[in-house]
Amino acid sequence: MGRYFRRRLLTAIPVFFGITILVFCMLNLAQGSILDLMGEGSGATDADRSALAASLGLDQPLPQRYLSWLGGLLRGDLGNSYTNGKPVAGLIAQRVGPSLLLTGTGVVLAIAIALPLGVLAAWKPRSGWDRVASALSLVSFGVPGFFLCLAGIFVFSVTLGWLPANGMYAAGRFTSLADLLRHLILPAGVVCLSSVGELVKQTRAACLETLGEDYIRTAYAKGLTERAVMVRHAFRGSMIPVLTTILSHIPHILGGSVVVEQIFGWQGMGSLLFSGISGRDYPVVMGVTVVIALTVLLTNLLLDLVYGLVDPRVRYGKG
Amino acid sequence: MKRLIALLMAAVLALGLTACGGEKETAEQVTVRYGLSNAWDSLMPYNSPSGSNYTRIVCDKIYDRLAYVHADGTLDPRGAKSWESTDDGMAVLFHLDEKAAFHDGTPVTAQHWADTIALITNPDCPALGRGTFSVLAGTDSNGCAVAGEQLGAEAVDEYTLKLTFKSAITPEDFLLDKNRELYVLPTHLLADTEPADIMELDLWDAPVGSGPCKFVEEIPGSQLVLDINKDYQLGCPDFDQLVVTVIDKSNLLSSLISGDLDYYAFGGNLSMDDAETAKAGGIEVLEGEVPNTFYELMLNCETIPSAEVRRAIDLALDKEALCLQSTHGLGEPTATDVTPGTEYTCSLTWQRDVEGAKTLLEQGGYDGRTYTLACTSNRSGLAALMQQELAEVGMNVTIETVDSAALFSGMADGKYDMAIASHTPGALPLWFTESRLSESNNIFHIADLEPYTYYIDQIKSSSGWETRQVMLDKLQELLADQRPFIPLWFGRTLHAQSPTVDNIDYPSSSFSNENIWAWRMKEA
Repeated sequence: MGRYFRRRLLTAIPVFFGITILVFCMLNLAQGSILDLMGEGSGATDADRSALAASLGLDQPLPQRYLSWLGGLLRGDLGNSYTNGKPVAGLIAQRVGPSLLLTGTGVVLAIAIALPLGVLAAWKPRSGWDRVASALSLVSFGVPGFFLCLAGIFVFSVTLGWLPANGMYAAGRFTSLADLLRHLILPAGVVCLSSVGELVKQTRAACLETLGEDYIRTAYAKGLTERAVMVRHAFRGSMIPVLTTILSHIPHILGGSVVVEQIFGWQGMGSLLFSGISGRDYPVVMGVTVVIALTVLLTNLLLDLVYGLVDPRVRYGKG
Repeated sequence: MKRLIALLMAAVLALGLTACGGEKETAEQVTVRYGLSNAWDSLMPYNSPSGSNYTRIVCDKIYDRLAYVHADGTLDPRGAKSWESTDDGMAVLFHLDEKAAFHDGTPVTAQHWADTIALITNPDCPALGRGTFSVLAGTDSNGCAVAGEQLGAEAVDEYTLKLTFKSAITPEDFLLDKNRELYVLPTHLLADTEPADIMELDLWDAPVGSGPCKFVEEIPGSQLVLDINKDYQLGCPDFDQLVVTVIDKSNLLSSLISGDLDYYAFGGNLSMDDAETAKAGGIEVLEGEVPNTFYELMLNCETIPSAEVRRAIDLALDKEALCLQSTHGLGEPTATDVTPGTEYTCSLTWQRDVEGAKTLLEQGGYDGRTYTLACTSNRSGLAALMQQELAEVGMNVTIETVDSAALFSGMADGKYDMAIASHTPGALPLWFTESRLSESNNIFHIADLEPYTYYIDQIKSSSGWETRQVMLDKLQELLADQRPFIPLWFGRTLHAQSPTVDNIDYPSSSFSNENIWAWRMKEA
């Protein structure tokens, strides 16, 4: 098993560098740079633009810029933001917590709703539970995130006045857990609703598939109750696809939700990425990319590990 | 499994119960929540790569400027109590407010202002936007101090600053043009630092200014917490803290209605579409009287080399319809970039003439080629309307929707033939043309700038209004004949008034300054 993971780890390395090369090239080859954003009315001259280009290294050829960025990365330095000059690692460190809190809460809530609902929908097809599961999936898949955000704000903030429409805290800083949670409910609700559809569908489909297996029939034949068969056998047997879906949300949790964070003014990784892209702040975008890419690769490794723990039939070969 | 579900349910219940508890008021501190749709970049005002209004409006709180500029072009004292022209209009004396002090208690003196200018114009200092200072004597066209020449910024006495210019200029014109770029820095804290290292200082992570607000903490690009400077020379508002949060544009008005914001920049700008929603939500809406946006269609004179073809585009566009579509009646089509309501005028008028446009296209030798029109996504409807109008006269146009960086980059490198842009207009006659019809920013790709720069220089060097107006008329005639860009309309805006804060000078916010020292909380 150890050898298997070492091999997987080794294959992940070129994938990681491939991702960074791809994103770096796409960013730098896109039309417009920070130099084009220098305000026309701000007294910026050609000399200013040239000086800024030189100081940021934007006058260097693309491969040289990439190697220079990569050199920094290998030394543990993600560089400084083009727009505010602050270290990217520090900016990311400031934003990881809020993103974890927002998307983590949203996804945990989604799991808490989706797993029982998916099992119930599979257990009793065409029942009320099944209809609720279908309706929830439809809304989750069919309604875009930004609309859910705006609709949520309109209903719960503007019309009912129950929940705050933006920010993490009322007074700009942590004053109480209650204040933070009030601000969390609406954005986390949107994240939950956006994620729940896939989880419900996946759980329902996996359970339905498992229910047709021979060992389920054997379990019934042994005289086990329907509930015991569902929970102990059917649900456990359908865990692999469900776990894949759940774990695939981990990069999303860390990377934040761009739309939700942007609309709600949540100070997470998603809004950092958004401002990095719109401001052509390459080091910031690359820094966030590194975090997300590493999370995706590590999640995949984690998935392999968890498969083996959940399903004893999964064994890691030597070759 | 049961235990897991029970735990999860308990967590959700606890979360819900805690949230239902409502928010606890913090120790009597009154906070005003301020929304901004885009992030500022640097809190060092002379190190802002974007030079954007978002950075300016934030720096306006921390640092002090010489004057306060109203939307109608009138000026009020701020860092300077008064000003006067001297040396036959070649210099201006600013009499500074003796009560002004930095947030560390050090009084702001004329030497601070002079040292700030000396530092920023120092070629070794990696400052951005120092072109602002290129009007001062002893600087080159980039605003860098010229070795061996006397820099036109000196402290005459402790509280009198003298600025000397390359050509005569009135204090009012100078302030209207440059005030928003001029901040005083705490140079007493920079004395031991080499100019080349200025931007590396930790000071800019927790800046000390002399403006109406003091820095507390920042989440870069997302949130800024400021305390009110109770010792500000012009007074202070009756709240204690200002929290600036970056929120998407789509959530600004709803946050104001729901009470989660007290105000949003710039001046609570509101489109006509949203006015009814605002009113229904109990927000009072104020109609702006002074134009705060100028729309233009930028043209690439290299790919559209014929002046006849460019004039044909001008005649083909139904500016009335375009203006209506964009402003819903809060704008006036224009044939010029001269801002209406200022002391300068322009007699040129505009009228759509489809047949005239067709004739001009023929005369200009338009060969049926397809031009590319670039716009940002919020203006794609406008671009589609233009496309239809140009098709009516036989001109083919494809639309490319891009972001601002790509738009300006594409115009600068000649990728696009046309682009829709908007600007905040100024009261000065050259507010638009001086920066765009120059060698350093020839975004219209004009082959020979000399005819334009001749009139621009004449206007700049004329001291009397009449001579300037005559020269301005000639410049406008030349622009109408050559049409390197097409002036579309001047728009006004609606202001969503704060439900909680009084005395906000909404229109002046568009000009990157806010009278925060005069803001007062409304009675509950």
